[in-house]
Amino acid sequence: MGLNVWALGGIAAVAVLTFGLGVWGSRRARTTSDFLVAGRGVSARMNAAAISGEYLSAASFLGVAGLVLKDGVDALWYPVGFTAGYLALLLFVAAPLRRSGAYTLPDFAEARLGSVRLRRLATGFVVVVGWLYLVPQLQGAGLTLATITELKPWVGAVLVAVVVVLNVVFGGMRAVTLVQAFQYWLKFTAIALPAFLLFLVFVSDRGAGQRALGEPLPPVFTQQTTVDIETDVTLQVAEPVMLQAKGEIGGQPVDGSVYWGRGQHDVSEDTRLTFPAGASAPSVVGAPADNAAWINPLGADKSLLHIYSLIFATFLGTMGLPHVLVRFYTNPNGSAARETTLYVLILLGLFYLFPTILGALSRLYVPQLLVTGKTDAAVLLLPTAMLDNWLGKGLAALTAAGAFAAFLSTSSGLVMSVAGVLSTDVLPGRVRDFRLATLIAGIAPLAAALAGATLDLSQSVGLAFATAASTFCPLLVLGIWWRGLTAPGAAAGIIVGGGLAVAATVTTMLVATAGGWVEPLLAQPAAITVPAAFVTMFVVSKLTRRRIPRDVSRTMLRMHAPDPLGFSQDREGQVGALADSNLPGEGRHRA
Amino acid sequence: MSTTERAAESGPPGTATWAEVQADPRFRELRRRLRGFVFPMTALFLGWYLLYVLLADYAHEFMSMRVVGNITVGLVLGLLQFVSTFVITTLYVRYANRRLDPLADEIRGEIEGGGR
Repeated sequence: MGLNVWALGGIAAVAVLTFGLGVWGSRRARTTSDFLVAGRGVSARMNAAAISGEYLSAASFLGVAGLVLKDGVDALWYPVGFTAGYLALLLFVAAPLRRSGAYTLPDFAEARLGSVRLRRLATGFVVVVGWLYLVPQLQGAGLTLATITELKPWVGAVLVAVVVVLNVVFGGMRAVTLVQAFQYWLKFTAIALPAFLLFLVFVSDRGAGQRALGEPLPPVFTQQTTVDIETDVTLQVAEPVMLQAKGEIGGQPVDGSVYWGRGQHDVSEDTRLTFPAGASAPSVVGAPADNAAWINPLGADKSLLHIYSLIFATFLGTMGLPHVLVRFYTNPNGSAARETTLYVLILLGLFYLFPTILGALSRLYVPQLLVTGKTDAAVLLLPTAMLDNWLGKGLAALTAAGAFAAFLSTSSGLVMSVAGVLSTDVLPGRVRDFRLATLIAGIAPLAAALAGATLDLSQSVGLAFATAASTFCPLLVLGIWWRGLTAPGAAAGIIVGGGLAVAATVTTMLVATAGGWVEPLLAQPAAITVPAAFVTMFVVSKLTRRRIPRDVSRTMLRMHAPDPLGFSQDREGQVGALADSNLPGEGRHRA
Repeated sequence: MSTTERAAESGPPGTATWAEVQADPRFRELRRRLRGFVFPMTALFLGWYLLYVLLADYAHEFMSMRVVGNITVGLVLGLLQFVSTFVITTLYVRYANRRLDPLADEIRGEIEGGGR
């Protein structure tokens, strides 16, 4: 059990380091404004590393490789979309939003449309999106700890929640900027080094039993492999296979040799399957069964609509993620913000290369994950499956540590943002209340993570993106580019888009618990909900034309006047001033 | 915080300046340039994404043509999605630095009388 000690050591080091950096940085965090915008003296590169560090979550570190293992080329839409979202943010939102002086989404809603009720609605959805995003992070932590130890999944979730809440309470965002930049490089090392070394191993030692990834045949087990089925699953078999089974298959108890022909087979929980070396690996229903389908786009059982939905959600959802937007305020000016975005794209693109390689290697070396469906564990299990020595254990410890870095950094950013809006909009704003807000922001998703169903990490995160794309994307894009937007129109659009997206999310989670097959649009609703939100906002705004704010010309000019013109000066000053006084209910972003 | 920041709320630029900027043809030109880049580029970019998926669904033979070894046309085009995101961002940054910022500086210099 050497692995456990190594990996646990890595995780402990990440937790201690994160917490230590947080406490060290917190000595300068004195006032609420320190907590919230971290001053503006952060360099573009440092800020880009911090943005990327915060952004690369469990879905990126574990989820992308897991989906590549299962779905093949189609899974690449996640990293492409996760990256392209920043382009949309840069083109449409970053500079005007910055000039508006509103540094959270509720601030923007109120500053642009002058409605306190709309502000409250926006606050509600910031909390919803933040929590939807936090749940898979905590579940990923549970999965990681359960994969490398015998501990129950809840232990990892609780651990991450506690470290994050303590870190945010004692550190605040100034510390978090430093911690996040560090976390990017940590995650990068933890994924790049194993990917690089394991790829060398793959090139130098081509096992005789392996199959090329382009062949129209399923992956094979290179050695005798025992798989424990923990939840009921339906497997599809593309090539007949002989195996040993103990438990229940197709409703019948079995104990001994079993022959599976082509087709689908139901396996009940607590069944142990043993495949001999050279046997073809079955895979969970819905994933491409053979390697040729795996390597072709849309080879998986994914519809065109599903992929379009995913593109909409990731491309348009990034701008609506609360923890992403606030980071752009740490740039000193618009030109630095553009530079930052460019660095972010480089850093993200570089990063995503490696989970893709690891996912492809997993198909050769850990095909048993296709049988259990726990493909998110691929990155964690691959090193020891490929290298049965100290190096394999060391690399496994590194990936486990990197995964924890991913949970901690993304969760910190999210808890930070949710706590921020809770403390300014819901609770009276003093530093102590910010701490109470942090506690609330962390505990609620923990409860949901422990009680809710576990989807694939990338899929859960995709639903958070869909909700953001269906609420804040139309609010921001129309708010910035269309004078005709009204408060009732914006509210109606947010309620329709967000309501539909949340309904789809809840349904998906409930159906997943029942183990059923989910309609593609429920699994990824953005193709419907985003246009619905845009159309609703447009139509209702047209109907309530009288409610166009009187100061719309001035607000629009402020947002679109060139950055160096200095029109944003008053708001910047205001932000600093108000963060200190911070009285709730004041129309504080109205000039 | 401090009185200077409080004062800044109602401070410069005054209403005259707001109107001045809005009426300035160069400001309109600036907005036109920004829109002229952002909207067509987004359409191009989204169109290219959606086209790729469409090809994947309806042009199986084309997409599974092999370029080298196991590398198919589909895979190459897929990787190009990444590259195109990066290229467009670079183009925008260069465009903004060359075509937007100098004009903005010009307007600002005139209105503020080279002050500050």
